[in-house]
Amino acid sequence: MLRFIAGRLIVVLSVGLTLSIVTFFLLNYVIDPAQAIAGEDALFEEIEQIREQYGFDRSITVRYFEWFSGIFKGDLGISYYWNKPVISLLIDRAPETITLALMSVSVTILISIPLGILAALNPNSLIDRIALGIAVTAQAVPNFWLGLIMILIFALAIPIFPVSGDKTFFHFVLPSIVLGASSVPAVMRLMRTGLLDVINADFIRTARSSGFYGWRLVFNHALRNALLPVVSVLAVQLGNKFGGSVITESVFAINGLGRLALESILGADIPTVQILVFVFAIIFLFFNLLADILNAYLDPRLRL
Amino acid sequence: MSDLLNIQNLEISFQSNNKNLKTVENFSINLNEKESLGIVGESGSGKTLSMLALTRLLPKQASVSSGSIIFQNRNLDELDNKNFYKEISGKKISMIFQEPMTALNPVHTIGKQLLETYLYHNNVSVEKGIERALEILDAVKLPKYKQRMDQYPHQLSGGQRQRVMIALALINNPSLLIADEPTTALDVTVQKEIIQLISDLRETIGMALIFISHDLGVVSQISDNVVVMKNGEIVEKGKTLKVLEKPNHPYTQGLLDCLFKLEDEQKKNQIKDTPIIKVKEISKSYKLPAKIFKKPEIIYAVKKVSFDVNFGETIAIVGESGSGKSTVAKIINGLINKDEGKVEIKGQNIEDIEISDRAKIIQPVFQDPYSTLNPIHTIGYIVSRPLTINENKSESEVKEEVIKILRLVGLSEEYYNRFPNQLSGGQRQRVAIARAIILKPQILICDEPTSALDVTIQSQILDLLNDLKTKLNITIILISHDISVVKYFSDRIIVMYNGEIIEMGNTNNVINIPKDKYTKRLMSSVFSLKKNDIKFT
Repeated sequence: MLRFIAGRLIVVLSVGLTLSIVTFFLLNYVIDPAQAIAGEDALFEEIEQIREQYGFDRSITVRYFEWFSGIFKGDLGISYYWNKPVISLLIDRAPETITLALMSVSVTILISIPLGILAALNPNSLIDRIALGIAVTAQAVPNFWLGLIMILIFALAIPIFPVSGDKTFFHFVLPSIVLGASSVPAVMRLMRTGLLDVINADFIRTARSSGFYGWRLVFNHALRNALLPVVSVLAVQLGNKFGGSVITESVFAINGLGRLALESILGADIPTVQILVFVFAIIFLFFNLLADILNAYLDPRLRL
Repeated sequence: MSDLLNIQNLEISFQSNNKNLKTVENFSINLNEKESLGIVGESGSGKTLSMLALTRLLPKQASVSSGSIIFQNRNLDELDNKNFYKEISGKKISMIFQEPMTALNPVHTIGKQLLETYLYHNNVSVEKGIERALEILDAVKLPKYKQRMDQYPHQLSGGQRQRVMIALALINNPSLLIADEPTTALDVTVQKEIIQLISDLRETIGMALIFISHDLGVVSQISDNVVVMKNGEIVEKGKTLKVLEKPNHPYTQGLLDCLFKLEDEQKKNQIKDTPIIKVKEISKSYKLPAKIFKKPEIIYAVKKVSFDVNFGETIAIVGESGSGKSTVAKIINGLINKDEGKVEIKGQNIEDIEISDRAKIIQPVFQDPYSTLNPIHTIGYIVSRPLTINENKSESEVKEEVIKILRLVGLSEEYYNRFPNQLSGGQRQRVAIARAIILKPQILICDEPTSALDVTIQSQILDLLNDLKTKLNITIILISHDISVVKYFSDRIIVMYNGEIIEMGNTNNVINIPKDKYTKRLMSSVFSLKKNDIKFT
C-alpha cells in the first residue's frame, strides 16, 4: 500500500513540476509582463523602466527558478493589481472557495447517491425515470442561468436565502446547489449503472444464497463494489468545483479564489493569475491522488 | 431414513414479451436425509432453474407458477421471503455455483465473508465466529488456511476459491447442499479433488446433496440416485447404477452411448512417414506492463516447442488453461507471430507462404460456434466466402460447391439461405467445419471444437470430424482439455504445461503409461465411465 502511494506521489509531483513550468512560461513569454503592468497606452520608455525596475530584463529561466523556489519559501510574489503579497490574497480568499466546493460536493452526493441507488434497485420504474429526468435537466442547464433562476425564485420571489454575498452559511446555500447540480448527472448515472452491474454479479447471488436480503444485502455486499468508479469521479468533480467557482462566485458575489482569478485576469495581474492557475491544477492533482488511494483502499485488487 | 425434501409438480414459467413460457413442468423429486441426488441434463433442460426455484434465486422474469415444496416437514410455500432468507437460505439449504472466479466478493477478505455469513445466522461472539471460520477452512482442506482469513479472493487460485465457496456454504452446517456444476469451470486436475472433497464432507457433516451436472460420468461418482432432465421435464429417475445399467428413456440411452462410444476404436487414417508440419523451437512471450523502477516482467506463453506432424496424422495437444496449447495452434495457423523458431509446412517456411495459399492448406475450427459466425450473413454466404476470395468460379459453381459441402457436413440444402441465429450450436459448428473444409485444406486445426457443446451434440461433431478425416485424408491438430475426446480421436498426444512440452507420444502409451508426474495427474483426473464399471446387481 505504501509503495502504491509512493508511486502515485512521484507521478503527481512530476506532473506538478511540468505544470509550473508550462504556466510560468505561458504567462511570461506570451504576454510581456512589463507591458501588462504599464497598460496599453504606455510609452516605450515607461515600459523599459518598469522592465528594469521589476527585473523582467533578466532571462526567463532565471525568473522561473526565482519564482518556483519562492513557492517553497512561502513567497508567491507581489500582486501588481492589489499591491499586496499574493500569499495573503490567497489566505484571505481561500476559505470562501473551500466552503463552497465542499458544500457543493455535499449537495452532489446527497442528491446523486441516494437517487442512483434507488434507480438501480428499481430499474425502469417511476423513480428511475424521475432520476433520469433530473439528470438530463441538470446536464442541459448552464451554471450561470441556473444561478440567476435560483436567485429569482428563492431570493427575490420567495425570500428564503440572501441574494448574494458570503457573510453567513445561508449565503452559500444557493451557490452550492447551483455548483453541485452540475455534477449530479455524471455521478448519479455512474452510481446507477455501477450498482446495477453489481446487483447482477455472481457474488451477490452467493450472498443471497447465504440468506442476505434487502438493505443489508445492498449496503454490506454490493455498495462498496459499486462505489469504486463513483469515488474517482467524485474526486475529479471536487477538483472541478474549484475551477467552476469562477463563474458561480461571480454570479453570487462571493469573495473567493474564483472571483479573485476573474478580477486578476481582467487586471492583467500576472503574479496572481499564475499562482491561481498553478494552485487550481495542484488541487485537481491532489484530489485525483486522493481518489487513487481511496480506490486502492476500497478495492484490494488495485493495491499492487 | 426420513424425508428431507419433497418437491411435487413444480412448474416454472418465464415471462417474455407478455407471453408465459413454461420452462420446467411436472418436476417432482423426493430426497431423504443424507441422500445424494444427481440431476443430469443439457443446457436449457431446466436443471438449474428448478433448484433456483427451491432456493428462491430465480431470475426476475421467471416465477414458480404451481407446485409444492416440503422441506423438513415444513411447507416452504407458506414461508414469506423474509423468513425464508433468515431461516432456510445459507442455514438449512446452501448452494455452490459453477464459477468460483466471480462467486466471491472481490473487495472483502475471505475471513470477513465467512464470518458475516456465520454471525448472520448464529447469535454468537466474533471470537466464536473466527474459530468456526478457521475450522471450516481446515475442513475444506484449503492449504495454509490460517493465513487465508486476511486474504482476498483474487489472491487465490480457482480451485482454492471453490474450496472457500464450499466453506461458505457449509459454515452453518446445512442439511442440504446444492452444487450447481461446481467443477465445470475448473481444470481437470482440480476437478477430481473438489468432487472428492464434496463427497467426503457430505459423509462427515451428514447432509444431503443435490449435484447438478451435464456430465453423467461425474454424477455417477457422487450420487446415489439420479434424475435425467430434458426440455424442462424429468425423463428418467432412479438409482444411479440402475439408470446407467438399464436406461428406460431413449434420451438417457443416447447420453450413455455418447460416453461409451468414446471408448470404441475409430477408423484410422493412412499415415505417411513424412512430416507435413515441422515445428522447431518456437517461442512466444508477452511483456507485462512496466511498473516504476522495475524491469517489465516477461511471461512465456510458449517456450521452445518442437514437434512434427505427419501427413494424415491426428495429433492432440492437451493441457490446462494457460498451458500454451492455443498459442501453439495460432502460431501454426499464422494468426499470431512467434518470437523465435521456425514453422515449416510442406517444407516451406510459414512466413514465405502467401496468405491465400496458406488458406488452401490450413484452416481453423474454433471453440465457440455462437460467436465465430457473422450473424448478418446467410450460411450460404459464410461458407462460400473462402471460395469467392481465393478461387475464380462462377456464381452457380460456387453455390453448387457450397451445397455439396453442406451435405458433406450433414446439413441439407435448406440451410443455404438461413442465418446463424436460426441454427443450434451443433448446426453452427457444422457450418464452421464446412467453411473450414470448402477449400479442401490438408490440415485442420481444431481448437476445442466440442467443448462449448452439449454431450450428445459433441459426439455427433466428433463423428463428423472423424468421417471427414478419412474421407478427405486430412491432417488434424486437435487442441483439447478433454482426455476422453483426445483418446477417441487422436493418434498421438502432446502434453503441454506452462508453455512447454512435457510429454509426447502414442495416444495409448501416454494415456495408459504416462511418464511425467503432471501427465499422470491429468490422466487420473478423468472421470471415465466404463462399461465394465457398472456392476450388474
